[in-house]
Amino acid sequence: MHVLLIEPDRLQATALTQALTQAGHSVAQAVSAQAAVARADERQPDVVVLELQLPHHNGVEFLYEFRSYFEWLRIPVVVHSFVPPRELKHAVTLARELGVVQTLYKPQTTLQQLCAAVAHAAAPVAS
Amino acid sequence: MQQNGDGAQLSDQERLFLGLAEQLSRPLLQIAQLAELAAHDELAAAHERWQTAAAVSHASLQLVESYALSLRVHGKVTPLHLEPVTVSSLLYDTAHHLQPFAKQYDVELQLEPGPRVQPIIADRAVLQSALTSLGQVFVVAQAEADERTPVRLSAHRGRHGMVAGLYGKSTLGAESLRRAQTLYGQARQPLEHLVSGPAAGVFVADSLLRTLAARLHVARYRGLTGLAATLQPSQQLQLV
Repeated sequence: MHVLLIEPDRLQATALTQALTQAGHSVAQAVSAQAAVARADERQPDVVVLELQLPHHNGVEFLYEFRSYFEWLRIPVVVHSFVPPRELKHAVTLARELGVVQTLYKPQTTLQQLCAAVAHAAAPVAS
Repeated sequence: MQQNGDGAQLSDQERLFLGLAEQLSRPLLQIAQLAELAAHDELAAAHERWQTAAAVSHASLQLVESYALSLRVHGKVTPLHLEPVTVSSLLYDTAHHLQPFAKQYDVELQLEPGPRVQPIIADRAVLQSALTSLGQVFVVAQAEADERTPVRLSAHRGRHGMVAGLYGKSTLGAESLRRAQTLYGQARQPLEHLVSGPAAGVFVADSLLRTLAARLHVARYRGLTGLAATLQPSQQLQLV
């Protein structure tokens, strides 16, 4: 599975990349929304892991742009963020319109849980 | 006291401490993640040490997050989400969160959702944070006690409502609660006690419960002493 990891914190990006790699995924890192679009252009991800608090453009703005490209419409997105879920004003929109399959609150999520969420997001839906 | 556009009410000092709590979460998370990764290393002893580091970091994060949550709710930065809550499922989830921490301290957790426990209307996240903070305090206290007895998460029907809390044979009780509540009179921020120490965990739990119009009190149940909160059962949900 190829994961696009959008994480501005370098230390966390390294730790998350290592955990996802150990779980058998390949990872492309991006520190901003702009860089993320470029990484996705280079190689289409199977899953996107997104921190909502990004420099310049926030994660929701990134999602609107990301979903505007037809070929990226169905790529599942896992939000992994410091924004508390109860303060996420766009939660419904994120899920319904922007294809966020799971929202994880960083302080309460272990690396193992993140890897499980990525594997679950990427799994084909049973018909 | 300042009020922002969203109706949030936090004093300058509370705003400062909320920012500090949020800031503290980041390095703690980084430590927890590094420890979790290192736990996959091959040396068995190092593996165990890193597992401990990960569990302790996550427990500290939980305390900091609970503190920030209590400030947010008290200051109306975030509203209460009241919903029907099944007390037994709340206890199960709390035990699930506490288990890795208790394991590190070699303390057994017992779950005892008593008979005829009624559903309540509450903010589930707030209640769970309160019980988890309290649970960590009990685990540490129990590990320090001479006699190794389990920590019991329990709920039962009391005279004034549903009583949910933690019980054990440690010395936690009236004195710990008084010390924690004294912090209210002096200052709202027990920051020097925030990372460890019973007062901080009990203070945070009590502070969270106050947002639900409940308070911690000393309780005795089946021969054990503990700290618990009395929650009002939902009259409507009893009919469902």
